[in-house]
Amino acid sequence: MKDFYNLIKKEMKELITRQFILSLVAMVVIYGMMGKFIGGVKEEADTKPITVSILDLDQSSISRDFINRMNERGEVEIEVINERSREEALERTKERGEKALLIMPAGFGERIEQKKAAELEVYSIMKGMSMTSITGRSVMGVMNSLSRQMSLNIIEEIVPDWEAADLIYPLRAKEFIVVEGKATPGNLGMIEGFAMSQSLLIPVVLMMAIMYSGMMVISSMGMEKENKTLETLLTLPVKRSSIVAGKMAGAAIVALIMAGIYMIGFTYYMSSFTPDTSGAGMTAVRELGLMMTPIGYLLLGASLFLAILTALSLAMILGLFVRDSRSAQSMGMPIVLLVIFPFFVLLFKDLGSLPLALKVVIYLNPFAHPTIAARALVFGDYLPVIGGMIYMALFAATLVYITVRIFNTDKILTARFSFGKRKRDI
Amino acid sequence: MDKAIEVKNLSKNYGKVRAIREISFEVDKGEIFGLIGPNGAGKTTALRIISTLLQVTSGSVKVFGYDVTGKADKVRECISYLPEEAGAYKNLSGKDYLEFMAGFYSRNSQEKKDILEKGIEIAQLADRIKDKVNTYSKGMTRKLLLARALMINPRLAILDEPTSGLDVANSQGIRRLIKSFARQGTTVLLSSHNMLEVEFLCDRISLIAEGLIVETGSPPKLKEKYQVQNIEEVFMEVIK
Repeated sequence: MKDFYNLIKKEMKELITRQFILSLVAMVVIYGMMGKFIGGVKEEADTKPITVSILDLDQSSISRDFINRMNERGEVEIEVINERSREEALERTKERGEKALLIMPAGFGERIEQKKAAELEVYSIMKGMSMTSITGRSVMGVMNSLSRQMSLNIIEEIVPDWEAADLIYPLRAKEFIVVEGKATPGNLGMIEGFAMSQSLLIPVVLMMAIMYSGMMVISSMGMEKENKTLETLLTLPVKRSSIVAGKMAGAAIVALIMAGIYMIGFTYYMSSFTPDTSGAGMTAVRELGLMMTPIGYLLLGASLFLAILTALSLAMILGLFVRDSRSAQSMGMPIVLLVIFPFFVLLFKDLGSLPLALKVVIYLNPFAHPTIAARALVFGDYLPVIGGMIYMALFAATLVYITVRIFNTDKILTARFSFGKRKRDI
Repeated sequence: MDKAIEVKNLSKNYGKVRAIREISFEVDKGEIFGLIGPNGAGKTTALRIISTLLQVTSGSVKVFGYDVTGKADKVRECISYLPEEAGAYKNLSGKDYLEFMAGFYSRNSQEKKDILEKGIEIAQLADRIKDKVNTYSKGMTRKLLLARALMINPRLAILDEPTSGLDVANSQGIRRLIKSFARQGTTVLLSSHNMLEVEFLCDRISLIAEGLIVETGSPPKLKEKYQVQNIEEVFMEVIK
């Protein structure tokens, strides 16, 4: 045990360098700044009223009343302009930096009076592709709302004894969300934030932890070979299994620290996009039993641990072929691909809706199982979680066995991918 | 049992390349034994096999009676190996590196402290011992690695080109150090290109060329046998 701790300590000292700490701090700061910036931009886009120019070519009492009502709603800032043509009005709107131009053509009021649909011309002015340029509450939203109000007024005028809203909306939806036979009032939009955290946030953190662990071990092997320390290490009176375990544990600890810090930064970043999950949405989530239980968290942790163990043992085998730090980067690619593939597939599709062949491929990939577990546990479905854990445990055990076997041979020093002539010091 | 190393009919193949071809030699306890030969002769392969790093293709190697294949763990308890192109962990200080290594050879903290103190004394790096290894020159790193190899008082020190990268003064110091360790009972197996070094250090040598041992004996006897002035000339005579 003493040797094992000695090796872990060394691994951590080697991996946690000043550059490593600086890059972690930089990553968190960048995520934090991006989150704050994007959150601010989004808030501005959501809350700041858009400015609209209105050209009233009709000049009727109805058109003026329409403008007044728009003004009263306060959702748009209105600037009434008096240009003579559409082109001039558009030029003026652009000059003033406003986002839309609304033109009420001649005859607008007359058509309304005749109970006929009147046309309004809406020009949205696009200045760029940035979020603030293309988002924001649309003028059409305000228009539609006013249009509805006008309908209600007209109906009340024609049939004063009837409830205008009932005539326009004779059907009312009473929405429920149903999960595994449990129903609760609400709609899917209410739990959007929760679904986002389940489908994106948790898998991203799992993916990072697994990838970092694998890359750490490969880097560690790369450094051993580059610094020419491996030979000395292998002649020490230490069991090769302790060397393997020490390397894996040291790398796992560093990777988990990295993933934890990454998670903090990423959560902050994502919170600027994700809809609020408080209030009615979370009540619905709780009532549907979608909250993960303590046992669920425990199983998710165990699933992640087994996936990390699998990544570490696979990385140890790949690390045998590494010659230096640079080749370590490319040797880590198989792990990165294996981790990323199920992540992207499961991001867009549920496992159940995949074709059988793809489903089998996903199940065979051990790194898919923490993501599968994260989703299954929300629905209280323990079977695929436990099945995945058994599969990962067997997979990892086989790889660890192979790794220790290889460490007990001279393949550890002689194994390499050869793409051309090689030199060997004999 | 007076033999520290017994090598019998040892062969090692790398695929189709025959690096070592049925070599045999023995090293007595407390002896300084040199494997001498040009690049690619098979010196490093032989040392790596004795150090349990490489596996034997055929033949047998015993270190203090322990077979390097069957009792590798026991062999590793007896040896300390210094590879020719060895390095140290660059993100550790020289002291941290020695402390890390001392941890594997000590049973308690006092023993670890004693080994560490000895390592620092052998390394002779003064205050630079506290600096990170990545700030060391090649010579300083070599001194640190030699200190690591000797600080544990190994029963068998296997040194591949021990003075490689060191200047004349430092090389002389290292040679004296190796001699003093041998006097205290450490058996030394070394390889070297430097024939003068070999003559000064070794009690006996084996000349190796193209994977074969072509001559074995003490430097004075070999010089006498071939009627030459130094080992370099012996070597040239042997491979003629």
